[in-house]
Amino acid sequence: MSDAPLDCRHVRLAVGADPQHLSPEVEAHLSGCAECRRFRDETLELDGRLRAALELPLPEFRRRAPPVRRYALAASVVVALLVAGGAWLFRAPSALAGELVAHVQGEADSWNAQAQMPAESIAGVLGKAGVEFDSRMPVVYAAPCPFRGHRIAHLVVQTVHGPLTVMLLPHVSVTKREKFSEDGLNGILLPAGAGSVAVLARGGNVDAADADAMVSAVHWAK
Amino acid sequence: MNPPSGGTSAAAPFSRLLEMLRPDLLRFAFWLARDRSVAEDVVQETLIRAWKSKDELKDPAAARPWLFTIVRREHARLYERKRLPTVDVEEVEALGDPALASDGDAGLTDLRRAIVQLPDEYREPLVMQVLGGFTTAEIAAQLGLTQPAVLTRLFRARNRLRVIYGLAPAEDAE
Repeated sequence: MSDAPLDCRHVRLAVGADPQHLSPEVEAHLSGCAECRRFRDETLELDGRLRAALELPLPEFRRRAPPVRRYALAASVVVALLVAGGAWLFRAPSALAGELVAHVQGEADSWNAQAQMPAESIAGVLGKAGVEFDSRMPVVYAAPCPFRGHRIAHLVVQTVHGPLTVMLLPHVSVTKREKFSEDGLNGILLPAGAGSVAVLARGGNVDAADADAMVSAVHWAK
Repeated sequence: MNPPSGGTSAAAPFSRLLEMLRPDLLRFAFWLARDRSVAEDVVQETLIRAWKSKDELKDPAAARPWLFTIVRREHARLYERKRLPTVDVEEVEALGDPALASDGDAGLTDLRRAIVQLPDEYREPLVMQVLGGFTTAEIAAQLGLTQPAVLTRLFRARNRLRVIYGLAPAEDAE
């Protein structure tokens, strides 16, 4: 125990509440009290572990098929699409490409999906995004992802040329095909009715016929 | 159609910023909800809301606390809107969640499970402080509490975790 104004009990309350930000009075007490210093050191060590504990391993966290909790819809069900327009819809494709790549890189585990997803799971994702996707090729990953202020369908489709990420963008209008390449991903942005479809491949290029097939499979909600 | 001038440069960095911070938002939402499905929903709503309110963010350096605040609100809103039942600690599904496991570090796994089992009133300010980087004054403002009340909750949260960590608890405030 020291002669400092604060007693040990109050010092430990302060240390236990906010060990990273201690007042000069608490620091003064600590400089003269070995027991409280030990308590402070233990708490700081605990805080380091606490920080590590809270930093959940995200690959493990994301390695899960998205749940279908809000909708149990058949594949053909279409949900009305209520969107507000905005100037950002018509942004230059180069900026869009960067955003698409950043999003896909944020879900890097999606490339590793192998098993075909159940039809009702895919339908749930498409329903949330307000779109139909009638592909003959197996969909191995489907997530309703936020993108530019809207929920869109982010899919990974297995093709004979390897997996392709397909992002269905009803809110993004483009007038012509645009190829892009960034951070090891190659992609094509294609017009699809009032919206667009982004098709990305990892490593190689996107096969043009595969990209066309993806666009043909898309039907926006009316 | 041509892009309007000015729209390109501002929005693309914002989009990247959201992607960069999304992992932390997911973690934060998970610790609030203790349910990864709910956490995913909360973060999706958060990112959509953030996009629509992006003009409110004047300083990109403030994006993290701004987004964490939206996560908190969306989490609360989700429970309000859906009237989700309060989860009993004994029934927390997250306890069996593989994301809590740490390879080769059983102590970390135990600590994560202990955090999951903390009562909401202790876990929330603790996660806001340690993961979110909020000051105790900011936590008090967000939770509608006095700062001394927040300090007490933070102390008690750590005190409980001290025991799990094999340390003697400190004498409580009361």
